[in-house]
Amino acid sequence: MTNEARQAILSSIRSHLATSVPYDKRELSLHHANPENNPAILSKQASASLVETFKANLITVGAHCVIAQTDADIASALTRIISALQKTPIRAQRIAISDAPQIEHLLHQTDLEIEELAIAPNASDIFSFDVGITSTQAAIAETGTLVLDSTRERHRLVSLVPPVHIAIVDASKIYETLGEALAFIHKTEMSPAVTFVTGPSRTADIELTLTIGVHGPQELYVIINGST
Amino acid sequence: MNPLSSETFGENAKAALADVQLRGALKYATSLFGERRKEAAEGLSNWEGLRTQARAIKDEALLHLDRYLEEFVSNAEACGAQVHWARDAAEANSIICRLSKDARTIVKSKSMTTEETHLNHALEAAGVQVVETDLGEYIIQLAEETPSHIIAPAIHKTRRQVADLFTAELGTPATDDIAQLTRIARTTLRDRFAAADVGISGVNFGVAETGTIVIVENEGNIRLTTSVPKMHIAVMGIEKVVPRFADLDVFLKLLPRSATGQRSSTYQSFITGVKRQPTAEGPEELHIVLLDNGRSRLLAHPVTRQSLACLRCGACLNACPVYQQIGGHAYGSVYPGPIGAVITPQLMGIEKTAQLPYASSLCGACREVCPVKIDIPRLLLHLRSEIAPRKGSTTERLAFKMWGRVMTSPMLYKLSSIAGRIVQRVIPISKAWTKGRDLRPIESKSFHELWND
Repeated sequence: MTNEARQAILSSIRSHLATSVPYDKRELSLHHANPENNPAILSKQASASLVETFKANLITVGAHCVIAQTDADIASALTRIISALQKTPIRAQRIAISDAPQIEHLLHQTDLEIEELAIAPNASDIFSFDVGITSTQAAIAETGTLVLDSTRERHRLVSLVPPVHIAIVDASKIYETLGEALAFIHKTEMSPAVTFVTGPSRTADIELTLTIGVHGPQELYVIINGST
Repeated sequence: MNPLSSETFGENAKAALADVQLRGALKYATSLFGERRKEAAEGLSNWEGLRTQARAIKDEALLHLDRYLEEFVSNAEACGAQVHWARDAAEANSIICRLSKDARTIVKSKSMTTEETHLNHALEAAGVQVVETDLGEYIIQLAEETPSHIIAPAIHKTRRQVADLFTAELGTPATDDIAQLTRIARTTLRDRFAAADVGISGVNFGVAETGTIVIVENEGNIRLTTSVPKMHIAVMGIEKVVPRFADLDVFLKLLPRSATGQRSSTYQSFITGVKRQPTAEGPEELHIVLLDNGRSRLLAHPVTRQSLACLRCGACLNACPVYQQIGGHAYGSVYPGPIGAVITPQLMGIEKTAQLPYASSLCGACREVCPVKIDIPRLLLHLRSEIAPRKGSTTERLAFKMWGRVMTSPMLYKLSSIAGRIVQRVIPISKAWTKGRDLRPIESKSFHELWND
């Protein structure tokens, strides 16, 4: 049946496009001349460094941002963030981390007391965790966006389901523009899932009132690792 | 609540105009969306260039739609996706019902395409539970209503109404705190996500070059729908194909800015087939249902074809002086506002929707804000020209024909103004014509005569 439908749809497309040919020439000359003459180039950020631009845009979209220079800096940032969360209703006692080895290593450098730590729990377990910690594969300065590639790290659920997401971004992996980040994820063999994350989950579906934290994380912390 | 019909557009609009609460909500929403869009567009140095480029890409994709669709399908299949072709809504629904017949819980994210096919009715008729997970869609599903705006489906509801609805349907404590209401929805829907075995989503863009589907959102329910269940079914109109991966740069700049005034949507998911290792995260099966449902017919003329360039951003709704007053439900169609007034008659046929192309003053605001430069006023006129020979009154047609003759002949024109001056004193001007518009009396001297004096 599907094959029959496929043939029917494709031949409908072809015959209707053929009907249109006499009208098209006149129409296309009326409209846009040459798209090449209209390159959609953004004005370049002149002064601010990529890290500073990235940080400013993260804050604009409602994320928190810390810049760290050493592993010890990152560990102490993690300690500060998580111990502060432990005093809130979020509790931050059950922590899920991605399988990036760096994360587990960093957590061992903290003196946090937690009830449970799990590496990349699966869909049936992840829903009970309070905090998810991941690395990222790239970032976009102009929008404050994290780039998560699911073939490189097991962070699809850890970055999504817990109410808090803490992401570690290497400063050397920050691209300036969306276009550059798209070129980075565009490969001969595409990853089955790449996610761009810009700020915490949000909705305005009731009276257009902005509410943070609907289905995804309500808090997003980004630690920029400046040592790389 | 029964959805309204396009056939009674006039009455629907009157009822909407009498609804003070609705008009307050609409005024607030459309002006807020409008201001944010404007600000976001001005934040880019080359908004006009982007629009031109986006339209050129869409035109290219549509002019070679057969080729790009086949390229998209073969690349998606090479990465493990299963593609299904559906000629119409019934075929799409039956494919989806068959795929999900053993599902216990289906979670669904917002998709205007599945609104168009009335998928939820079909699933419920097949005995499968389906839960809308976008907050606005969830609210209207509980209320058994239909979306009134493409981007904010529950734009017509107050927090009080949402609170009462939640109390009645979910038994949750009464509150009209919006953050609290959002938390209630989050908690309730978490259990459904955790239990879901099928997730159904729409598609914003399908990339021919890579077989990737791209879905944008703010809430995170699409990520959950496409990550947690074992099976993901993506429903995609055939017009959603773009040729190259790099084309996304243009569209991912235009869409969030036009829809909500954001520089980027919170989440953009790029999904290419299924996981390659069985132990990896994500669904085991990805089914892409390609829907025609009248779309291929619109390729037959450049004026109608441009309706297929629509990104479903909703900017034309917010800019439209008619939508601003009456909201989405009065149109009685799945797609409301200016774009709905052109898409609905073309997809569903003009018999039952003939009033919609007249639901516009042709002011052109929709064309000004459209991120892909769809000439909606021209489309409206095109549709009116198809409807008029069937629906217009004989007297009106005769009158305009005579008016045309008079206006193209200097002699007849001169005579008519003299005759008009005399006639207007003795015969009152047609009531039907002046009910909705002013008619200025003819001056005692014409411009020509004044000039000669």
